[in-house]
Formats: sequence, structure tokens, C-alpha cells
Amino acid sequence: MNDLIKELYQEIILDHGQSPRNFGECDPHNRSADGHNPLCGDNLKLTFFINNEDVIEDIKFTGEGCAISLASASLMTEKLKGKKIHDAEEIFSDFTNLVSGTNEDLKVLNEEDSLYALKGVGGFPMRVKCATMAWHAFKSALKS
Amino acid sequence: MLDIKKIRDDFPILDKKILDNKDLIYLDTAASAQKPKVVIDEINSFYSNNYANVSRGVHTLSVESTFKYEDARKKVQKFINADSEREIIFTKSATESINLLANSFALKYINEGDEIILTVMEHHSNIIPWFLIRDRYKCNILFANIDSTGNIDQKHFESLISEKTKLVSITHLSNVFGTIVNQDIVNLCNKAGIPILLDGCQSAAHIPIDVKALGCDYYVFSGHKLYAPTGVGVFYGRENLIEELPPYQGGGGMIADVSTDGATFTDLPAKFEAGTPPLVEAYGLGVAIDYVTEIGMSEISEHELKLTNYALHKMKELDFVDIHGANGNKHSIISFNIKNIHSHEVSSFLDVEGVAIRAGHHCCQPLMKHLSLNSTARVSFGVYNTENEIDTFISALKKCRDFFTK
Ligand SMILES: Cc1ncc(COP(=O)(O)O)c(C=O)c1O
Repeated sequence: MNDLIKELYQEIILDHGQSPRNFGECDPHNRSADGHNPLCGDNLKLTFFINNEDVIEDIKFTGEGCAISLASASLMTEKLKGKKIHDAEEIFSDFTNLVSGTNEDLKVLNEEDSLYALKGVGGFPMRVKCATMAWHAFKSALKS
Repeated sequence: MLDIKKIRDDFPILDKKILDNKDLIYLDTAASAQKPKVVIDEINSFYSNNYANVSRGVHTLSVESTFKYEDARKKVQKFINADSEREIIFTKSATESINLLANSFALKYINEGDEIILTVMEHHSNIIPWFLIRDRYKCNILFANIDSTGNIDQKHFESLISEKTKLVSITHLSNVFGTIVNQDIVNLCNKAGIPILLDGCQSAAHIPIDVKALGCDYYVFSGHKLYAPTGVGVFYGRENLIEELPPYQGGGGMIADVSTDGATFTDLPAKFEAGTPPLVEAYGLGVAIDYVTEIGMSEISEHELKLTNYALHKMKELDFVDIHGANGNKHSIISFNIKNIHSHEVSSFLDVEGVAIRAGHHCCQPLMKHLSLNSTARVSFGVYNTENEIDTFISALKKCRDFFTK
């Protein structure tokens, strides 16, 4: 088996791709956004609730997509739940650096993080958009 | 019988190794075809020896360029069996050709409430230009349904035709199903006196084209899918029809006379070719046409049909593969999904096996919605493909299924 493929599809990715966590809609929620990948038609809807201490109390998503986009969304919700917005934004920028293979120093993510499993996407430039779809939805929901 | 070994030697890129030294198996010709060396070399030679702008100067190089450019037009005319070179307009792509017709036709003929008929399996290039016209002229766009084989539902198509129908614009060979439009559809339009455009993006490379025998009024295709360079497309229209159409782009080269008060336009085909045309690319298209003509379009077509049937047969043996429109008559193109595995996974997996296939919506989102899919995988064949390559593709599919369902 090719190493690139093994790196791309680590156990944890296949697992989250097949059974995504936090799948559904937050009730109540005060932020939401749609993400879509115009290259392939994949799409998702992200909802979350930010309390008055700026903490993401709950976050969920629904949608259809490939294993990479579903796993990324699933791992993202796990990571961001309970985080302050400011911290979540730092994770966002680390994550986008991680998967785009820019080799920039990561500030908050490290190899222990489950999100690190998505590093293999860097070997497939056309798949970066799959991995970042949920994250961009998150960012645009913050702005809205 | 084609001499496939010799043909493969004509395409330098087929020597390329993918990732860890896998042979390239290129099964994405429907997106764009690879280029034979003669096309690459001739483009180089044009720039090195003959290049200048066309139809502008009287100096030697301009004459040579103009001659080569106009010669390419004659080659296209012969290739699709048009009556006259005046019917061949060079554009930058099939997309631009469709935009040309949409805009020029609407300027002259479209009014509020008029109807234009497409099908649900059109490429976005044959939908969005019409949506833009709809928004500007308040006409309506109707979509004919397709049946389970990936052919137009003829009854439904017929039921859409009325005195409000101004134009029909449909794909000649579907870029998703590989199905070829039934001649009855064209005949029906002819009988009703409704002009019809055939989007020949996929057909031009795979079956011999005779626009007169087809009975289409307009025909478009892109050079890059026919082994020619990117950046050149063809718009064909019957002379008596395009004589009447106004230009939609203005610029140099398409005028008879200009003053500060206005302009008169020149004759066909220049009337529709505003600005410096993609002259080297058009020349490259002429070279590509010579290349496929020498091999023989009928022979190429037969070879690709054999490959298609071979692949279909092998794929049908795999119980984990769903072929879309499996029972349709396919030519050169097969779309499919592996059960429970997204087409992206299939495409990335095959990529590292050296097999290049397409995954996604194929610029056919209305069709994907119609099929309740959001993406499919697609293989497509060209003159250079072999049954051996299909065997490798099939075994890669099996490996892929095993990997994702372990
Ligand atoms: C059926 C069909 N129509 C139109 C197009 C658009 O061609 P181009 O992008 O070269 O203008 C394509 C290309 O994918 C096609 O397959």
C-alpha cells in the first residue's frame, strides 16, 4: 500500500469519516453557516452556541461529503467544543497551515492532537479544500 | 486496427511516472485530452518561424500567420463537413461559443416569455449562458428529463415544444453518461422549425462529425478535448442563420468601417471574431485534426467503443460498483460510484496507483441533483488507451474497495 494513502487515510480519519461525531444541529444555537466545496458539490451546515463568556458551549454539523471533509468536520467539533473563541481562532489558523503543508510553525496544535491526523492531506493539494470546508464555515459563522 | 504502440509513442506525457514510479494511466480524456508531439512541436515551430498578428499587416510574417490561421479554418470545415469556411468561427472555447450564440441569438430573437429548451444533463457551460439571457430578457429555460439509461426522455422533450420555443440547446454526447443524442430529437426540432445547437465538446473527439447529416443548426466544441491546445474553440452555424445574427463582442478585426458616429461590421466569419484571435492555438487545432484524420476518426471511434464496452463488462462484474445509466449505449465515458465510498476517495486512491480519473459533479450539478448524488467518479477513454490499462484500473478499484471496507 502506498504511504501517501496510508498517511491520508489514518484509522482515525476513516473512523470519523464513517461515524462522524457531533452530527446534527445545535438546539439552541446562535451561530450557523453553510460550507460548500464548489469543486465537487460537497456541503455541510454548521451550528454552534456561544455563551456570554465567549465559550463555544456546543457545536454540531450535518452534511454530505467525502471521508476527509466529514472527518475534518467531526474532529473540529470535538476540538472546538468548550474552547474560547480566541483559542478557536488560533486552532483555525494552525489547522489551515497544517493541511496546506506550508510548514509554518504551529502555535497551539501538536502531534498529540487528533487533528494532526489530517496532515496527510498536504500530499494531495486538490483535497485541501475538503479538509478545510468545515473550518471555513466556522470562520464565516464567527464573522456573521 | 490501430497501431496503439505507435500512437502511444506519439504522446510524450505517457512516459511520465506518477509518484513512486507508477506508469501513468490517463483515463480523464473527457476533461482534456493529452497532446501528441506533432501538435506541441508545430506550435513551437509557429512561434519560432512564422509568428505575427493575423489579417493586420501586409508584411511577410503577417501573411504567413494569416495563411496558417485560415488554413486551420478550412481543416475544421472539412472535419465537421460544413458547407463553407464562413460557417467556422474560432473562439477561445466551447464555453465562449455557447455564450456567443446565446448573446447574439437573444439580441435578435428573444423576447419576454419565449422559451429555450435544454436537458437536465447539460454541462454548466450549456446552462449558465442561458440563465444569464433569461435574467436579461425574462424568457424561460425549460429542462427536458432523461430516462434511466441516460438518454433524453423523448416524450417529455416533445411535450415541452410549443410555439414559444425559440431554440433547443443540448449535449451531443453526454459528459457524464457517454450517451449520444438520439437523431429523432434533432429531426423533431428540424420538423418543428426550431433551431438546435449541439454541444459537441465530447462528440468531436470520439465520433466522426457531419453537421449536415446531423441536421444541427449550430455546433460547438473545444480544441483541447480533441488533442489540440487549450485556448481555442469552434462555433459552427449554418451560413444563412449566422448571416442574420448580430455580433456580441466588438473590437478589432470585425469591422468594415468605423467613424466617431459608429461602425459597420465585416462579413463572416470575422464578424464574430473581435480582437486578436487565438491564432497559434487554432493552428494547433488544425494540426490535431490532421493527426486524428490520418489515423481515421472511424477507427478511433471504433477503438474507443471497444474499450468502453470492455470496461463496462469488467465493471459490471464488480458487485460494489454502481454504473450510472448502466444500460445506455455509452461511448468513451462511464460514470460510476463505489458503494459507500465517496468518489474523492476513489480518485485519490487511484491516483497513487497511477490511474487518473475524474471525481466530482462534472460541472453537471442539475444532473447530480436529478440523480440524488453529489458526486460521481468517471473514466473516459482516448485514442491512446488500452485494455491493459483498463485491467489495471479494475484491479485498482478492487484494492480501493478493500482498503476502505477493511
Ligand atoms: C459536454 C460539455 N460541454 C461543455 C464543456 C465546456 O468546455 P470548455 O470548458 O472547454 O469550454 C465541456 C467540458 O468539460 C463538456 O464536457
